[in-house]
Amino acid sequence: MSVKKDSSWEPVILAFCCNWCTYTGADTAGLNRMKYPENVRVIRVPCSSRVNPQFILRAFQKGADGVLVCGCHPGDCHYATGNYYTRRRFMLMQRLLEYNGIDPKRFQAKWISGSEAAKFRDTVIKVSAEIKALGPNTKFAEGYYAQNEGGNE
Amino acid sequence: MARIGVFICHCGTNIASVVDVEKVAKAAMQMPDVVFATDYKYMCSEPGQAMIKEAIIEQKLDRIVIASCSPRMHELTFRKMLKGTTINPYMLEIANIREQCAWVHTDREKATAKAIGLVQMAVAKVAKNKPLSAGTIPITKKALVIGGGIAGIQAALDIADCGYDVTIVEKEPSIGGHMVMLDKTFPTMDCSACISTPKMVEANAHPNITLKTSCEVEKVSGYVGNFEVTIKEKAKYVNHDLCTGCGLCQTKCPTKVTSEFDQGMSKRSAIYIPFAQAVPSKPVIDANACLKLKDGKCGICEKVCPIGAINYQDEERFTTEQFGAIIVAIGYELVNWEEMYPEYGGGKYEDVITGLQFERLVNASGPTEGHILRPSNGKEPKDVVIIKCVGSRDPKKGKSYCSRACCMASAKHAHQILDKIPNSRVYVFYMDVRTPGKGYEEFYDNTRKDGAQYIRGRVSKIYKEGSKLIVKGEDSLLAKPVTVEADLVILATAMEPASGAYELAGKLGIAVDGDNWITEAHPKLRPVETQTNGIYLCGTCQGPKDIPDTVAQASAAAVKVAALFSHDEMETSPMVSSVDPDKCSGCGFCVDLCPYKAISLVEYAGRDNGRKVTKTVAKVNEGLCQGCGCCNAICRTGCIDLKGFTNEQILKEVDALCL
Amino acid sequence: MGNLTKEQIQDRIREEAKKALATGEVSCVVGWTKTRFPDKTKPFFAYTDAECDLLVWNEYCINSTAKYALDDRYPEQKIGLITRGCDSRALNRMLKDNQLKRENLYIIGVVCDGKENPVCDGCQHKNPLTYDVLIGEPVEETINEKRFTEVEAFEKLSADEKYEYWAKQYDKCIHCYACRNACPACNCVECYADQYRVGWQGKAADREQNQVYGLTRVFHVGDRCIECGECERVCPMHLPIMRQTKKMLKDINDLFGNYECGLPDDSKPVLGEYKLEDPDEFM
Repeated sequence: MSVKKDSSWEPVILAFCCNWCTYTGADTAGLNRMKYPENVRVIRVPCSSRVNPQFILRAFQKGADGVLVCGCHPGDCHYATGNYYTRRRFMLMQRLLEYNGIDPKRFQAKWISGSEAAKFRDTVIKVSAEIKALGPNTKFAEGYYAQNEGGNE
Repeated sequence: MARIGVFICHCGTNIASVVDVEKVAKAAMQMPDVVFATDYKYMCSEPGQAMIKEAIIEQKLDRIVIASCSPRMHELTFRKMLKGTTINPYMLEIANIREQCAWVHTDREKATAKAIGLVQMAVAKVAKNKPLSAGTIPITKKALVIGGGIAGIQAALDIADCGYDVTIVEKEPSIGGHMVMLDKTFPTMDCSACISTPKMVEANAHPNITLKTSCEVEKVSGYVGNFEVTIKEKAKYVNHDLCTGCGLCQTKCPTKVTSEFDQGMSKRSAIYIPFAQAVPSKPVIDANACLKLKDGKCGICEKVCPIGAINYQDEERFTTEQFGAIIVAIGYELVNWEEMYPEYGGGKYEDVITGLQFERLVNASGPTEGHILRPSNGKEPKDVVIIKCVGSRDPKKGKSYCSRACCMASAKHAHQILDKIPNSRVYVFYMDVRTPGKGYEEFYDNTRKDGAQYIRGRVSKIYKEGSKLIVKGEDSLLAKPVTVEADLVILATAMEPASGAYELAGKLGIAVDGDNWITEAHPKLRPVETQTNGIYLCGTCQGPKDIPDTVAQASAAAVKVAALFSHDEMETSPMVSSVDPDKCSGCGFCVDLCPYKAISLVEYAGRDNGRKVTKTVAKVNEGLCQGCGCCNAICRTGCIDLKGFTNEQILKEVDALCL
Repeated sequence: MGNLTKEQIQDRIREEAKKALATGEVSCVVGWTKTRFPDKTKPFFAYTDAECDLLVWNEYCINSTAKYALDDRYPEQKIGLITRGCDSRALNRMLKDNQLKRENLYIIGVVCDGKENPVCDGCQHKNPLTYDVLIGEPVEETINEKRFTEVEAFEKLSADEKYEYWAKQYDKCIHCYACRNACPACNCVECYADQYRVGWQGKAADREQNQVYGLTRVFHVGDRCIECGECERVCPMHLPIMRQTKKMLKDINDLFGNYECGLPDDSKPVLGEYKLEDPDEFM
């Protein structure tokens, strides 16, 4: 990986946030001038159930150090039932990634409602610190052969 | 090649004080396909918008990115702005550099870097945007109200008064619901029938309202503005077009069965008008009781009917009608306490009655003409026990929720007993007394001043000794067991959703909660809408509530319908899912997943192995689709894609973010 | 097998295949025939009585017959299939996925006693679950206590050990998609992996693309896998593909209750439904 772990290293963290709850919660955090680390970037999706597991693989492939999926609490989904599917999908995803050597802290899902600005901030701070402690992620990342000179051994 | 323009907003100093906007604009110029980038004090202002429009023309832009406040704030503003330009309103992406950058960060350098990242992501996404156009769908300006209780009647009257046609479907032979069964209403103690029957009559007489009693909803298809509803009309065996409602048949009918309206406390004939003020005031035949229909004997009603309105050959009929909106107002039922509480006699003691039975008992038109008498021996009770929360707030035996109306109903019953029976004593066993509502607490206070004894605790057992009912409970404030020798016990039984609520919700494609109460779209902000557009709810089908709340909700639902009907057609969001039929495998997983039943499998003329074949593929009904994208993630082929949030767009965003 | 010898079963298969062709409704019967190697058979399509006599039944009848039904999704005549327990589950999979129509199939079920295929050791369905005619007496099924032992052992490795193991495996992958082509759950008309323009993943057969393909495949078939092991058997580079899909099946069993696919019931794939009382780890 091109990223080297030094004191100035900042992780790249992706957060898929549903438009109705977590994205609103993130906006509310801004409205209340809460402070959190810069390294989390939000991708707005209509519903957490829109998030395809392949997006997460893609993020790791492209060099993300951590991925978050956030949505409404079960029962509060703007689309009534979407996040129940999210819940099943990503509980399995997290385990599968762990099985393939990705620390479960690098892929997390959280329910954060539109009013839980503080929870959004706290989650970002916590996840950011956890991933910083883990260091840069090279697993699944592109460019392995380029870095390691050569292809199949 | 896309020509992207990027516009960075200062938002006064809101953004500019933390983010180096000029640096962001400069960085944006380096991004792929960006041909123009600039910053400005207020992009949303008149001059700001004018500047964007000018740049669109001068730079021949075909899509733009605005880096400003949250898209939840001004996405619509900028879309509207684009309507007057050469660019489609959906060729726009917003980078949220205020709420999710400037306002939450302090380090200028890092915040600027993040802002550049966010712009980069928006640029990557917008490059894959496609022009979208909102479709319009016509609206059938006719509402269907399911349920003819006070909620349904009020909603129908309000919609009808706005000038729109309404049909009320009621499964019983008369509208009126539970409210007409009640004697008095708390806290004002006005006669329930006196205030509800005029509304029933008004609904019947209103030129815009069609009443369909003895009817049920059989099937629902379509979507907002265009529902197609099949209504089943049960066999009435009486031609209501001919019948004058003279009631002669009723008096001559030899078969007597228990009256539903009087809660089993009186008898009615097999051909019957449910109650004196019924609307329509015309009889139906109860096929389970009628001798003629069961055994082919009798036939007296046909003989006595002066106009030949009786028709034993009547059959159920199905009609299909178009409606633009549907209001669900199917109300509640009381729980079956006999099964839940065998320790209260489980129904074997005649003098243990429900609150609703007491309403009939104390009502002047009820079985005892308003005299409170013990069902067992017809004598006046002196000691009366009222037990609250029978089935409510009892997750082990009944329901976990509070039924809300029973605290006040019980206080009302206590008041009525003390008022009507001299020297009577009333004991109310309660868990808590909950009286939120205008004048409610005062009413409860007065009931206690009248002499009602409130005992905090639950009743553990009721048994009979001689003619008395022995009620054993605990006074939990004194921590002592209590025994009351009672003549009459009234149970404040819990409300539960009307039977069939779950099935109806299934037909309508709306959600119910764990107890089968219909779920509103948002508990605070969309309390009378369901998650399906064009279907609304009011009254106790949503959860236990009293009459004032029910009526308020009914009028609220009516306004929602009237607002919908105030347009001839409605714009649909173009950000809906669509299927590529050539890629679709027709596995149908998305069909089951869709919360809105918006996807169905249809036949499609495709090719397979060089032959023309009829394939089965998924198709999205754009009127029903709400754009959640749930179906997208389950589709392995990726052939179903949400416009505005396509797989390609999101993948590009991911790529751009990880750069 | 049970009451019949291998030769007797083979005779019955030929007899039933001829009977099926004789009805005129069935165009061909898919089974196995011998090859020039004594320990190999190959899939075989019998169109005539003479060809029916070439059908064989022995411990080397390994290839799944079921997926051949998918080669003609819209057949003019019924497709006859010699079907073991695993094949019948594969057919149920494709029927449930709406890819086949039951009325287009003529299923000759054969009670199977296991083949020279390691996956047969853990077989829980020796009896065909769906068939038009059955050859052999149904036998008692055994529960495979070791269904997930391999997965459990692998879970105990450290994160880096796991990653290294898989990375090495995916280094070998040559992107041939044999696993996909053999899998009865991989029945899309057009696989996501072939859609390069959307950009789901790259074409190159390098480690990261293979990893993405491998994990995506687990997600696409994991909740519908019938555990037939065809993916692993056909892999020319010997990737332990089942170890990935079984991990997902194990988690599904742990989280959402007992789960087995390809049974003739109306259960939905786990990712296509939900229960309100599902465990929640994301609070």
